[in-house]
Amino acid sequence: MGYRALYLHIPFCRSKCLYCDFDSSACGSSHEALDRYVERLIDQVHACGADSELSEIETVYIGGGTPSLAGDGLVELVRAVRTYCDPSEFTCEANPESFTDLLSRKLRQAGVSRVSIGVQSLVPDELAAIGRIHGPGQALAAIAAAKRAGMSVSCDLMCGLPGQTVESWRSTLEHVLAAPEAPDHISVYPLQLEEGTPLEALERSGGVMVPDEDFQAACMEIASDILSSSGYRRYEVASYALPGHRCRHNIAYWTGVSYLGLGRSAAGMLDLGAEGRIRTRQLDDEGLRFEREELTCREALAEDLMLACRMVDGIPPALLGRAARTVSAPALRDAVDRAVASGLARWEGGSLVPTRRGWLEGNELFGLFWDLA
Amino acid sequence: MNTIDTSHIRNFSIVAHIDHGKSTISDRILELTRTVEERDMASQLLDTMDIERERGITIKSNAVRVMYDADDGETYQFNLIDTPGHVDFTYEVSRSLAACEGAVLVVDATQGVEAQTVSNASLAMNADLDIVPAINKIDLPSAHPEEVKEEIEDELAIPADDAVCVSGKTGEGIHDLLEAIVFLVSPPRGDADEPLKALILDSYFDEYRGVVATVRVFDGCIKKGQSLRMMQGGEDFLVDGVGVKRPAETPVDAIGVGEVGFVVTGLKDPEAVHVGDTLTDAARPCAEPLPGYREAKPMVYTGLFPIDNKDYENLRDALEKLHVNDPSLVWSPETSVALGFGFRVGFLGLLHMEVVKERLEREFGLALIATSPSVDYHVYKTDGEMVCVRSPQDLPEATRIDRIEEPYLKAKVIVPPEYTGAVMQLAIDHRGVTTDMIHLSQKSVEMRFDMPLAELILDFFDQLKSRTKGYASLDYEFSEYRVSELVKLDILLSGDDVDALSFIVHKDKAYGLARGLCDKLKEIIPRQLFEVPIQGAIGNKIIARSTVKARRKDVLAKCYGGDISRKRKLLEKQKEGKKRMKAIGSVEVPQEAFLAILKVDE
Repeated sequence: MGYRALYLHIPFCRSKCLYCDFDSSACGSSHEALDRYVERLIDQVHACGADSELSEIETVYIGGGTPSLAGDGLVELVRAVRTYCDPSEFTCEANPESFTDLLSRKLRQAGVSRVSIGVQSLVPDELAAIGRIHGPGQALAAIAAAKRAGMSVSCDLMCGLPGQTVESWRSTLEHVLAAPEAPDHISVYPLQLEEGTPLEALERSGGVMVPDEDFQAACMEIASDILSSSGYRRYEVASYALPGHRCRHNIAYWTGVSYLGLGRSAAGMLDLGAEGRIRTRQLDDEGLRFEREELTCREALAEDLMLACRMVDGIPPALLGRAARTVSAPALRDAVDRAVASGLARWEGGSLVPTRRGWLEGNELFGLFWDLA
Repeated sequence: MNTIDTSHIRNFSIVAHIDHGKSTISDRILELTRTVEERDMASQLLDTMDIERERGITIKSNAVRVMYDADDGETYQFNLIDTPGHVDFTYEVSRSLAACEGAVLVVDATQGVEAQTVSNASLAMNADLDIVPAINKIDLPSAHPEEVKEEIEDELAIPADDAVCVSGKTGEGIHDLLEAIVFLVSPPRGDADEPLKALILDSYFDEYRGVVATVRVFDGCIKKGQSLRMMQGGEDFLVDGVGVKRPAETPVDAIGVGEVGFVVTGLKDPEAVHVGDTLTDAARPCAEPLPGYREAKPMVYTGLFPIDNKDYENLRDALEKLHVNDPSLVWSPETSVALGFGFRVGFLGLLHMEVVKERLEREFGLALIATSPSVDYHVYKTDGEMVCVRSPQDLPEATRIDRIEEPYLKAKVIVPPEYTGAVMQLAIDHRGVTTDMIHLSQKSVEMRFDMPLAELILDFFDQLKSRTKGYASLDYEFSEYRVSELVKLDILLSGDDVDALSFIVHKDKAYGLARGLCDKLKEIIPRQLFEVPIQGAIGNKIIARSTVKARRKDVLAKCYGGDISRKRKLLEKQKEGKKRMKAIGSVEVPQEAFLAILKVDE
């Protein structure tokens, strides 16, 4: 069984946001390193393509970093991928400051069907507090540009930002929805203070106040209410979509579909069925060195259960059956009973689906199933 | 069999108040006599346990042989016995002194005579030792050696004209100190032809060699292959080997009269060897054993429970192994509804408890919960029977109690005059009564108190240190049992009484403590899926409450570019964290919650 999804990573941004601990270097206005990197990435695409590794690819996602920063290089990359496959969904991540009308039309023409824009907030002070280098106007313009070019548009929003209030969070959500060209998909993330980031150091030294988890919980609930009443269906703990706009690529990650990752620090996964699965991560720019992790079929199963709990459809009967065969039925029953007893999950037509509480207390729920590994 | 004439042997201890620099002086002596080459010097060589080095304290005694070429052209054998300085370990000091003819009394040139200086000096004088006063840290600008000499004469009644001024840091004066030891400390007396008589100073268990005992020979000698008898224990064994520490273990042919060394017994049962017992020749035993020494009595009792109940047997084995070289350790099985099977363990003090718990966790890989410390209460029941209660759980029902008596101490605090008010207030807060105040010098006042042991073991010492900017020093001894109005304070989590959190407290302090404890537990217990009410109760009456609010959110929503491993690792970390917690009913309680009582700010 070959790869059905492809992830490409562009680890460059104009400047690094204060909360980010992901692999990305700030390159300012000099694009030399970025251009060289993209050329190498294109080489890797051709190499994999020549090995027929891309022939069954159904979804592609170019993430970062800030892929839109690569401009025409990004367009070249999209074309290179399209030489080997005809994916039904092709997403590019973009940040408002580098996503122009022209770039969006070029990307559309090259075969990109979906754009995910890092909006985060529509309040200037909140954007400044986390080191974003765009304003609310640029964000709304980027959404409009992508829509005009004929692409499905997603935007990322963050809650729990320094200075954020329940009112300002509502207002961000409402403004995004009220725009003449509203996005088709919205992702809602609570801010996570990661160790080693400037924001975390700032918070520790008392230089900035970050709202607590109760506030984040309230924001997640508000988002759920406002977005559902506007027709967006929450299909994953952090993802909302208008009908027909769910992200098929992300769903592939959460359902045990094999995916190839190219680019520095890109993650990949090859499912081997009864043999377990292999997770990889590229360590260099050239695609020569990889970190490799082998999972037993028990671990693979536990991972699938844990990931299924992220989604509205939960753990379907077929997966429960596989679980009962792979780990013991009593152990599975115990985990399921505990999830139901603590109000984290419930039964719905033979599937075990997460409750709203289960989504808020995700780690508790995921932990129950990961423990089966 | 001696390789050296007894007139050329000097056995001595170095005694001091904690932090007065005993270990650094020992290090310099090892260096100056080239027992240890400078390049091999790790600071504080004699403190071999990790915990000792990390905390900079000596817990266990240690005997090292040093050869010294004196100015008179002769070579002397010094047996240096390092001793602990903390009040909890006084008994170790008395053990070590029994093996010596002399003691170097170290006094800090900047701090002068402190409480432990006084108590260690009196131990040494009671043991009839020759005392060599040494004033340390003379390299410091704030040193005032002349005044310290006066203090030694005035407060300890020890002539200080010959006191040696040294610096453990720079090595200055160490040579003079060694010369003073040669002149002032008497050589051991004893008869090589008499039947063997040797004192067991210390022992430890070695996986391969069995019990290894540190001994001081008074008469006769010990050789490999000899058949020995433990006079008190009654067991005989064949000596597998003898040696001395220099400070690495070095085999020797024999340990002769007046010498200190170690004996490999080959005995596999740690309980077979008792510290303080007398060793003699099985074939030609001596008539009388040596006087043992004051047995250390535990003052404080806490429950020790393995977090994982499967570790119960391992905990028992570990306690037995530690007991070999720490005879003050006593324990009995204890059962808790909340914590399962464990032991009620007696300690000399809270530092001793911390050290033992840390050793059990590090050296034996156990994860343990320690419960609130308790003293030994004498409970007189209405039927006339008296029971000793060392655990709040064992307290009979209130209606069946006639009266409770608790142990009182005579505590001695030495402090600069400006802090006497603060110390007096602290004593009052701890139910103490000032019985005497003696002006020792212009710079120090000795205050004496009667106070309950239970108050002292909580936070008295820490508070004393903080309220006197570290200047005060403390020493205490048991005085008597007195009647007190004591009650049992229970703690309920989510409405369920958690026996392991109960505490015996004076009636007048119960309300404040209950409130403090409920608030502290609220800080310590992490938020859970549901709300956790915490209540403090006496009998059926709730006297304090607080609530751990339900956690509302615990999720990492973002799934970066399919990086599932990252999420999994987060869950693994979360799981590790939970292993350090104990599930009480459905509430996850961290280890430190059970000692929260020690952290309540009153």
